[in-house]
Formats: sequence, structure tokens, C-alpha cells
Amino acid sequence: MTPARAALRRAAIAFALFPLIALLAPLVAREKPWISGRGGETIVSAPVPFDPDAVDLDRRLASPGRRHLLGTDELGRDVLSRALHGTRLSVAAGLLASALALGLGAALGTLAGWAGGRTDRTVLLFLQIVQALPALVLVIAGAAFLKPSFLVAALLIALTGWTDAARLVRAGTQRLKNEAFVDAARATGASNARLLFVHVLPHALPPALATLPYVLGSAVLTEAGLSFLGLGAPPPTASWGRALAEARNLLPGAWWCILPPALALFFLVWTARRLGDAFLGRRGDVQSRLA
Amino acid sequence: MLRFALRRAASALLTLLGVLALVFGLVTAAPGDAAALAARAGGNRAVAISPEALAAFRHLYGLDRPLTERFLTWVWRAARLDFGRSLLDGQPVALRVARALPATLALNTAALLLATLIGVPLGVMAARRPGGRLDRISGFVCDALFSTPTFVLGLVFLLVFSGWLRVTPLFADTETGLRGFLLPVATLALASLALIARFVRVCVAAALADPAALAGRARGERPSEEIRRALRRSSSAFAAMGAVLVPSVVSGSILVERVFSLPGAGSLLAEAVFARDLPTVLALTWCSAVVVVAASLVADLVAAALDPRTAREDEVTVPGVAA
Repeated sequence: MTPARAALRRAAIAFALFPLIALLAPLVAREKPWISGRGGETIVSAPVPFDPDAVDLDRRLASPGRRHLLGTDELGRDVLSRALHGTRLSVAAGLLASALALGLGAALGTLAGWAGGRTDRTVLLFLQIVQALPALVLVIAGAAFLKPSFLVAALLIALTGWTDAARLVRAGTQRLKNEAFVDAARATGASNARLLFVHVLPHALPPALATLPYVLGSAVLTEAGLSFLGLGAPPPTASWGRALAEARNLLPGAWWCILPPALALFFLVWTARRLGDAFLGRRGDVQSRLA
Repeated sequence: MLRFALRRAASALLTLLGVLALVFGLVTAAPGDAAALAARAGGNRAVAISPEALAAFRHLYGLDRPLTERFLTWVWRAARLDFGRSLLDGQPVALRVARALPATLALNTAALLLATLIGVPLGVMAARRPGGRLDRISGFVCDALFSTPTFVLGLVFLLVFSGWLRVTPLFADTETGLRGFLLPVATLALASLALIARFVRVCVAAALADPAALAGRARGERPSEEIRRALRRSSSAFAAMGAVLVPSVVSGSILVERVFSLPGAGSLLAEAVFARDLPTVLALTWCSAVVVVAASLVADLVAAALDPRTAREDEVTVPGVAA
């Protein structure tokens, strides 16, 4: 295995930890014991034996200790359990938003590159318009007047994140459509759809696919910002962004409410960007990116 | 050059109109009658509002006209800085925005200045020895900064400096004065610093690897002269970076103001969004779009002035940098 391959594998494994945590969270952090006796007594409890929404007003703002490993928040909810469950929202929002952004970008990029002419100019203008608006401003303006929900947030984030994919796919399609092998396929009577899907897209798409981890990272950041402002998925869904907004009001105390979601956010985005770097390092044909 | 400038200005104007149409469409097409929402938000939620009152409200704010007419009227008025009255307290929106803008502008200017002052030398030093110790360390730090949401950085700063060390105030109100601005400025500056340092490093390293740099070295150029020429050769790329930096700073500023309870335009936007105060949201979006489009126009013109080749190309290409 070449060093580049090994690096890619490490990056992929590190990143895959987060979807894994997201999948396992309901199993690992729950009040219901794993194995209970006939009379309902606990025999084997879950590793984090607290539901994320379980309010315990007697133990508000408990500092980290034996009972609550990372302490409790202002409603006495277990911080660790909420952080684990918050992974679900961030990972799902990141995956959904970046997949939608890639789909939209690939569709518009192909359209622009293949059709050319006025269609191309229209798509480019639209691209310029979306890039001229700070992503968060557009997402906030939209989220303000739509009912806050997970789906709305993901859609709005995708609406701002498709531009890079569209640029890459457009450039690839433009370059490929005049290649000799495409001409040859056209000469044999291949339909437009066949030319696109069999001959052009398989070569035009990979550069955009390689940027997916970066898009995912920025989608996670935008979602967290939206939740922080209170415009993300509504309570009681456990969310890192909202947990941070709640912890802000508890300052200067309760550091244990801030650090877990902050570090979780950081590592999720960091591993995603690492994965992107590993992809680009392996694929020399993609222009190296800064952000 | 003049033709290029005129074409870019026309395209910038078109982009601006497009941005406004996009936001206007998004905000007004949203479900929920703005009149009903505002009337409800204005008072007790339990009080029922008569249909006549709602109709009068809609008529008062022009919500009963066709969408395109409303959009064109709004654009025409916005061009003369008349954004109507806030649905929240009936004050002119322009006044509310004008009161919030100075704090935001001061914050962003200070942050950008600080980021440039540190980021450019850092990038140059890292570029002198690609793969050297400084390059690797700064690369790692910048990568970490890219992965940190601005508001998380601000929160951690608050926790450490205001919570534990107690050297800065917890809220950046007007009473706390300059000391309250320290942390917000540092937070925003760090976020832009990573972008600037990495960008400068890539551009200068490329310029130093250029045959022109080799020729200079062969002539016996001193290192300082070499760097100066490398910076000069990549200056048009720096102008392009400015256009990329502005939207990311605007986005960051909204969250940073919220973290530090700084009464600026970002806080106003968040407030207006919660009150579903349509005129204020539109006015603030207008401001941010104008700033971003103007910055990108200026960046293109500066780049063209520094490097006439750009003006001859059809489309100014910016290396893919996400905001």
C-alpha cells in the first residue's frame, strides 16, 4: 500500500467514526437497560444510562463526576448523552445537504457545459448570484420565514453550497464534449443521453465528488450556526449548535456544557476536511484547494 | 480597460438585482401570511384579529399588490435608502440599520486589518521554505482554524478569558467600551487569518518557483528583493482573494455578534428574523449584498489594474475558495 493510500484509509476510518456514533447513539445512550431482569431491575445498563431529553431538576448543572461523566445542563440533562445524540443531527444534515448540493451542482454544471450558449450564461449568472450572497445570510433569510426544521435547513444549505461542484462539472463537460472519443460515439449514432451518461459524466463527475468532504464540512458548520441562532431543528432534538447557545447564557460557569459540543463539532469538520485532503492528494488532476 | 470596467459594473448590477430577487422571492414565497404573523407578533397571541384589520394591515404595507410590482417598488425605494417601516416598532428601517451598522463596520474593519497584518507576513515566511518547520506548523494551525466554527472559537475565548481569567467582559455592550471589542475582533481576525495566510503562502510559493524568480536569483537578487518581486507578481491574485474574504467575514460577523451580545447589524438580523420583521430582514440582506458585490467589483478592477492580462480574459477566475 502506497503512503497516499494509507493516508486515505486513515482519514476515511477517522471520518467514519462519526456516522458510526450517530447510528449507535440511541443504543449506547439510553435510560432503558440493555438487559433487565424479570422484575424490571437493571442487570446490564447502557454505557450512558440517560435519555438525551430526560430532565432531572434535582441535578441541574452538576459538574462532571461518576454519575454524569460530562455533567448535566441547566435542566439536568446528561451532557454526554446529548452530545452523542447531537451527532445524529450534524452528520445527517451534513450528508443530506452535501449530497443535495452535489446533485444540484452536477445537474446545473452538466447543463451549462453541454448546452453552452445562452443556457451556459444563464447558469453562470445564477452561480454568480448565489456566490454574491454570504451563505449564512441567505440561509438565515430563508430559515426565518420557513418553519424551522431539519429538512428546511438541509435544503437551504444545499442551495448555497452547489456552486463549486457546478463549476468543476461544467469545466469537465466543456473539455470532454469535443474529445475524439465523444465524437466517435456520436458518429456511431449514440443518443445525447448516452453520450452524457456513458461517455462524459463518468469523467466529469470525479473532481466534484472529491470536493464532497469539504462541502460536507461547511454544511455542518452552517447547520451548527443556524442551530446556534435558534433557526435549526426545533427542540427537543439534541443539537450541538443549540447546546452551545444554551451554554452561552450560563457563562462564566458550566464549562462542561461548552467543551463537548465544541470539540465534537471541531473534530467532525476536521476529519471531513482531512478526508478531502487525502482525496485530493491522491487525485493529482484536481486543483488543490485552500478552504 | 474602460470597456472591461463598464462590463464588470454592469454585471455587478445584474448580480445585485438577482440577489435581491432571490431573497425577496424566498422571503415572500414562504408559507404563512406575513400580515397575520406580524399582527400576531405585535401583541397578545391569544387575541383574535378581525379580517378587516388584517386587510387594512396588508393594504398599509402594500402586501395586497402583485409580487413583481412589490419587488420593483421595493428595489426602487431601496435604491434611495427607503426601506419602509419596521413591522416590529414602526420606526423607519433605515434608521434602525444605520444605528446598528457602525459597530459591525468597526468590528469587521479591525478584524480584517489585524488578520492582514499577521496573515501576510506569516504566509510569506511559510512560503520561503515550503515543507519547512514554520510551513508545517502554520499549515496545521490554519487547518485547525478552518475546521472551527467562528462562534465556537468565540465561545471558547469567552470561557477562557472572561470566565476563567476574568480579563475581558462577558458582554460587549456599549458601556464596556474598547475592552469589550477585544475578543470579538480577535475571534473574527483568527478566522480570516487562516484564509489569508494560506492564500498568500500558495501564491508566493508559486511565484518563487517561477522561472522569473530563478532568473532573479541568478542575477544575485537579495532575498528581500526576491520576496518583493514575488509579492508583486501575485498581487492580482490577492485582489481576487479580497472578494472571497468579504462574504465569509460577513457570515462570521453575524454569529460573532450574537456570541458576544454585540449590538450590531448581525444581532439586528437575528432579532428581525425572530420577529418576522420582513422589511428589516430585506434591508439587511440588501446591505450585505451591496457590500459583497461592491467588494468583488473593486477586487476585479484592482486586479485588472495590476495585471492587464486579466482585463483581456473573458472571465476572471478565482481559485476555488469556499466562503
